[in-house]
Amino acid sequence: MRQKLRRLREEKDTRRLIAVILGGKMLGIVGVLGAMKAFAWLFESAAWAQSAAPIAHKANDFVSPINTVWVLVTAFLVFFMQAGFMGLEAGFARSRETVNVLLECVFDTCLCGLLYWAIGFAFQFGVGNGLIGHQFFFLHGMTAAYGSTKVAFLAFWLFQFAFADTASTVTSGAMVGRTSFKGDILYSIAVSGFIYPIFGHWAWGPGGWLGNTMGWFHGLAGGTVFRDFAGSTVVHTVGGFIALAGAIALGPRIGRKFKRDGGGPLPPHDLTWGAIGGVILWFGWYGFNPGSTLSAMDWQGIGRVAANTTLAACAAGMAAVLFVYPRTKKWDLGISVNGFLGGLVAITCPCYWVSPAGAIAIGAVAGIVVPLGIDLLERLRIDDPIGAWPVHGLAGIWGTVSLGLLATGQYGVPTADGVDKSTLVKGLLYGGGTAQLRSQLIGSATCVVVVFGFSLLLMFAIRSLKGSWNLRLDKEGELEGLDIHEHGTPAYHMEFGQGVSYTTLLGSGRSLSSSDVPRGSPVPADKEPV
Amino acid sequence: MIHLVTAIVKPFKLEEIKDALRGAGIVGMTVTEVQGYGRQGGKSETFRGGEYQLSFVPKVKVEVLVDSGDVDKVMDIIAATGRTGKIGDGKIWAVDVDRAMRVRTGEVGAEAL
Repeated sequence: MRQKLRRLREEKDTRRLIAVILGGKMLGIVGVLGAMKAFAWLFESAAWAQSAAPIAHKANDFVSPINTVWVLVTAFLVFFMQAGFMGLEAGFARSRETVNVLLECVFDTCLCGLLYWAIGFAFQFGVGNGLIGHQFFFLHGMTAAYGSTKVAFLAFWLFQFAFADTASTVTSGAMVGRTSFKGDILYSIAVSGFIYPIFGHWAWGPGGWLGNTMGWFHGLAGGTVFRDFAGSTVVHTVGGFIALAGAIALGPRIGRKFKRDGGGPLPPHDLTWGAIGGVILWFGWYGFNPGSTLSAMDWQGIGRVAANTTLAACAAGMAAVLFVYPRTKKWDLGISVNGFLGGLVAITCPCYWVSPAGAIAIGAVAGIVVPLGIDLLERLRIDDPIGAWPVHGLAGIWGTVSLGLLATGQYGVPTADGVDKSTLVKGLLYGGGTAQLRSQLIGSATCVVVVFGFSLLLMFAIRSLKGSWNLRLDKEGELEGLDIHEHGTPAYHMEFGQGVSYTTLLGSGRSLSSSDVPRGSPVPADKEPV
Repeated sequence: MIHLVTAIVKPFKLEEIKDALRGAGIVGMTVTEVQGYGRQGGKSETFRGGEYQLSFVPKVKVEVLVDSGDVDKVMDIIAATGRTGKIGDGKIWAVDVDRAMRVRTGEVGAEAL
């Protein structure tokens, strides 16, 4: 009896053991199969051969290769704008935050690339509904060319990534000098992964409501749709207003007094790089605007866009200098750079549809809008060291609206093979009525209300985090300068010192902490405010 | 009689010191970017994952010519506004000045201040 019971118990244990082992094995098998499936999906190791059509290249098809090369060349130019931003932002900042500005641009670019691969492109250019796309996550399910563009899918992706990166970098300009690096990472994820791609879908994505139906405002738009050729709104107003929200949530840098309090802007530390950075941005704009045709077959279009871009920048740079001259009786380099950048931002939306004279008018107005915007920020006690909001936010609005005034009515839209003139874009001053103007106002206002509103929530939320993830650096770190406090090194040295340790995965050669530093020994950079 | 007050301070304290001295009626100062070390013996910074040692730490040297009766006041103001309480706050010293002259007018002594 006893033995029987014991055996039963043993059997029960044995059964449990067997069940556990079997269950574990099943779980393991499912896990491994799942991982294999996920791996195959993510890397498309099995699916690739079928999903991408083999290159069926006909001898007389020169359109796809030429369009692809055109888009790639312009994508490279847009990418080079990062160098321009680095020069401009570092030059206009103080020397104590130079390393911070440079690393933000580099880190944001890396972050943006990965986010745009994983989700950004899917939200923006995937097929979905009017509000968001949900196709091509992790670039899964690519086709040979994107849509009807006759541009290689990944060339199109690269071009759009460079745009997303630009929007993300614009944002940091107004937040220089007091943003913690961890805070920067948090808002950059939101900007590159969500805000920019989702708003971009509304204007440019397949089925996006602003670019196709105008949604609730269909009646108001009078049959036209919101048009933003290369992104005055989609890139620049978005970036500029996120920047403004950041500057408001952060508050001014320590020691920044405003004009009405008897102060003024903190001086830039390197105008050489500031100005060169500005001109590099101008150069990059030759990718930004002409490349947005996505087609070299529209050869008249790309010529017109490039020329209009140039003329708007020239008019704006000159207008800004002349506008500021009577105040100071000085020929102002800083405002000329902000001015021509404002002109470039403004012409970005209408560049395809206006005449050269129209481009000059648009640029000239932008050149005055920018200094007025800088004055307004000074009045409102908002510290924007680089001028990100006047240049990108405000000039972006003007450029977007200007299309509704100055579109000549001669041009339609570029296509892969040439031009589609079935719908011509005509502005108020060319007798096209107010329909296009209304569409532009609806698009621009939507951007300001939705993006600015959401960004304020986001920035204040990060600003209220406890500890080091807070958006704003602590007072000590800010006074010491972000370069030393956040990055452990200033940008400029009188001497380079001597290496004392190198930390590797295998451990550090020597560790320093404030407690074990005897008198007469070096103190770690982050422990000792200099 | 005139004294020269010289102070080595942390660079980010300079604006506060300047404002405090102006507020106390001291007009004029000369500043120089300097490097040096005191008891902390330099500092370390990082580059590409490694640490390197700097023997000299950037500081600002402030020089103020003052009437000898103001020396203590000026030193107290600089010490009070320049202090963070952490290592590396700097030093202040004062020396007697034999003569002084204003270049524009040729005034000498206390008149030159």
